[in-house]
Amino acid sequence: MPQVIIDGQTYEFEGKHKLLQFIQDLGKEVPFFCYHPSMTAPANCRQCMVKVGQFVKDRESGEYELDDNGEKVIRWFPKLQTSCNIDVADDMIVHTQETDALVRRAQKDNLELILINHPLDCPICDQAGECPLQIQTYKYGPEGSRFEVKKVHKPKRVVLGPRVVLDAERCINCTRCTRFTEEISKTNQLTITSRGDKNYPTTAPGREFTDPYSLNTVDICPVGALTSADFRFRARVWEMNQTPSIDITNGKGCNIDLWTRDNLVLRITPRYNGEVNDHWMPDEGREAYKIFNENRISRPLQKLDGEQILSSWNNSIATFNEQIAARDKKEILFIGSPHASVEENYALQQLANLMGINEVIFTSHTESGKGDDFLLTDDLAPNTTGCRLLGLKELDQKDLGFRVKKASLIVLVNDHFIDREIFSASDLDGKYLVSFATNHSKTTKFADLVIPITTAAEHAASYVNVDGRIQRTIPAKETKYSNRRLNLEMSEGRLDRYGTNFDNWVTEDNKIDCIPLWNFITEAANASGLDLSFEDGRSMMNEISDKFKPFENVSYEAMDAHAGIQLSLNPKTESPKVK
Amino acid sequence: MTYEFTTEDLKEIEKIKSRYPEVKPATLPVLWIAQKRFGHVDPDVQKLVAATLELPEAHVHGVASFYTQYYKEKKGKYVLDVCTCLSCQLCGGYDMLHYLEEKLEIKAGETSDDGLFTLNQVECLGACGYAPMLQITNDKYVNNLTHEKIDKLVDSLKKGEEPGYEKMEMPLRKNN
Repeated sequence: MPQVIIDGQTYEFEGKHKLLQFIQDLGKEVPFFCYHPSMTAPANCRQCMVKVGQFVKDRESGEYELDDNGEKVIRWFPKLQTSCNIDVADDMIVHTQETDALVRRAQKDNLELILINHPLDCPICDQAGECPLQIQTYKYGPEGSRFEVKKVHKPKRVVLGPRVVLDAERCINCTRCTRFTEEISKTNQLTITSRGDKNYPTTAPGREFTDPYSLNTVDICPVGALTSADFRFRARVWEMNQTPSIDITNGKGCNIDLWTRDNLVLRITPRYNGEVNDHWMPDEGREAYKIFNENRISRPLQKLDGEQILSSWNNSIATFNEQIAARDKKEILFIGSPHASVEENYALQQLANLMGINEVIFTSHTESGKGDDFLLTDDLAPNTTGCRLLGLKELDQKDLGFRVKKASLIVLVNDHFIDREIFSASDLDGKYLVSFATNHSKTTKFADLVIPITTAAEHAASYVNVDGRIQRTIPAKETKYSNRRLNLEMSEGRLDRYGTNFDNWVTEDNKIDCIPLWNFITEAANASGLDLSFEDGRSMMNEISDKFKPFENVSYEAMDAHAGIQLSLNPKTESPKVK
Repeated sequence: MTYEFTTEDLKEIEKIKSRYPEVKPATLPVLWIAQKRFGHVDPDVQKLVAATLELPEAHVHGVASFYTQYYKEKKGKYVLDVCTCLSCQLCGGYDMLHYLEEKLEIKAGETSDDGLFTLNQVECLGACGYAPMLQITNDKYVNNLTHEKIDKLVDSLKKGEEPGYEKMEMPLRKNN
């Protein structure tokens, strides 16, 4: 097998590898800025220099040439090489900065050059704390600069598009952003303008950076040049807490990280999953922080004399049971939702079963023409496939309207039918509408009973994407009834750990008075004497996987271990593969 | 202002495109055609080039803004690039520049009111042996400048007569 010697250690390899990626995959490090594993390597930052050589071999006999001491003779490449775009070859000898003073010196001097016109405004820069330039300057950079001339000034606060703001002075012209628009999103909206020390990335004159994936350029920018218009100056990175989760704004289920501080989701960034979204996510998914933070329903609401007033949990549970008991079972309509998780739909389905109510129905939420074969889908809901696999009855909007007309009590989970114009407020005259919802909407305004439930940022629950991959969320935000320190699944940021209620940067106000749907259903069922109990998403998923063939072998442990599980969408012929 | 290529230009562009396996390499020569036609490649012309070649506007802008020889704004009919790099500087490059500034009543980087002349101060044009010198609109060199030579040049340019290419002899080294 071909061998390569890196810093004195011999490694065997197969196939074609770029040296930088190979070194990284070994868990070792070479500094770099412009390289990105999903894009081409133009080698223009010159930071990943290493010393590379080859053992000298006699072409005819195939024997190694030896020096006087019997050591193999090495023929070094005449200059240092950028490791990002050089192929690993058999008999290659590589010295990185760890073993070679020349490489160390080259990397240090290169950083000094890169920093010549860099403003070094880290204390006010959004990137500080997660900035490759900052980190690598600490690790490999010079102690100071010998450059005493005034730095070149370039445009600042350039609004490139509706979501991205550029600070050209911070830019080191790695071209990651322009390559992203050329190779990944293929809109070709960015280019490097001008040259020499005056160059910076920009759009064509008079054009806006409207790319639906534009915010990915902010993520891959190795400095603070590209910033998100929304998140700029909102928080320091080290004050936030990062929790892995799933995008719930469309059917693709991009893997994301929720960045919270004091129980507010401040930004959403993509998390790598080679099977789903690679390193990317659409801009729309990042807007979901508004769903988690703003316009939330906190405490149950109940209509009295035509007006919604705040109610108590006990009251709302009693009202819920009274309303169901007071009606003919045939007049009760339970509507599940592709916007709710597998577990929530399952809990509703079980309650309906026990109460002897008609099957649970749902309708998909799609917008044709929205999908783009990349990460946007026609499906606007995260769990349409999950509802189908649970055996919920899918109705089109017309049939649904027909069923609504016949019903006198409608229980709606996390779906806003009046906002979606599936039925109008007048269709509800004389009917009792129970709405389990996360956010206020036109629909909840007309509901007679509104029960606040947790969002994907507050509960652990799973969602099945359009391709049949089941993935789960982890709670990132506390509710009034959950606690980071007691819930071992939740993580703690610095402020969560060390803040107290007496600090003026910590507030209880961001905790929503809501509970997971399954907890409410457990309470309601117990109050009406039914034997139904759900504890948490984890145990419910075990129940689901026992009961439903498509969910066979699915558990939170398996999902965590494999970054989601591909379900078989045709359960009769295949059992699910654990990948 | 909207710009359009003539049919001859489009024929020429087709010919250029057929020289390369892809369209992208045609960007440079087509920008030259545009600059010859319109005298500059301002953002509107860049858009025209992008539309003609079916390339992204950003790419054409990036290429056009990289090269100083493409004029990104309207210039005078004659662009005079006066070299003030080392050799010309020593032989009186700045003197020539300032003489032109006074004569044309514009500063370096400006265009005269009649739209005839743009004066630029530039770095080495590779004619150090015939310093001081200037270049007319990315093309002809006028070497060994003197005040009289400049007077004559400006007069003939005003009449619309461009000087021809000047043949320069290299002084032979004396081997003794």
